[in-house]
Amino acid sequence: MAALKTPTIRQPDDALAAVAALRRLADQLEDAAVEQAMRAGWSWSQVAEALGVTRQAVHKKHAQRLIAAGVALRRR
Amino acid sequence: MKFDKYLRTILEQAGHEAQQDGSTTIEAQHLLLAIAARTETSESRLLSSVGLDPGGLRQALDREYEHSLAAAGVSLQAFALPRPSSAPEAARHVGASVRYALERGLAGVRTSPQPAHLLLGILQAEVGTVPRALGLQDIDRTELVRRIEQTLSGEQRQAGAGG
Repeated sequence: MAALKTPTIRQPDDALAAVAALRRLADQLEDAAVEQAMRAGWSWSQVAEALGVTRQAVHKKHAQRLIAAGVALRRR
Repeated sequence: MKFDKYLRTILEQAGHEAQQDGSTTIEAQHLLLAIAARTETSESRLLSSVGLDPGGLRQALDREYEHSLAAAGVSLQAFALPRPSSAPEAARHVGASVRYALERGLAGVRTSPQPAHLLLGILQAEVGTVPRALGLQDIDRTELVRRIEQTLSGEQRQAGAGG
């Protein structure tokens, strides 16, 4: 097994860039994971609770994109 | 082309670049991609001359993203989720990095702004995604800025002589 390298962030520019990149990755992961869950038949309430946000928030953020992608959405 | 019309065209293309990135806001790197995509312009030729044609620029930006994640011990390859569907429409909201680029590029412009002023404002950023992406490719950003400034001052001299 390859040894895990411990990352070391020494400079503020690296640390700040890592924050920006991690936010972008979190957004990409959320888009992918919500779509995967909804395609698997999860409800908005289940997805919202799993993410720790309100049902309204998750619906507002993702419904338009998923409808356009042809994902069959459950009402609740 | 008048600058505001040029800016609208670039912002529209940048919105598509942002959509492709899964970003809800247009950022400076999306403006740069839009500028690079308008081949046959002096701005895209300048970018191409240092390897930043549309493909090269995308690669440089991808590398910056992976590099920044790696600094926090995160690897993109570690995630096996399928690629999410894109937003149905191009991004329309402008992010802070675009505002900074415009402020910088248009600062002190007394006569009518030129397309090169926008590129100047993007490349003058000392920190952020664009300068890091260029730095990782060993591209001399200050030299690019100098070349743009030189072109712009030449154009101003010509305009002054002509008018």
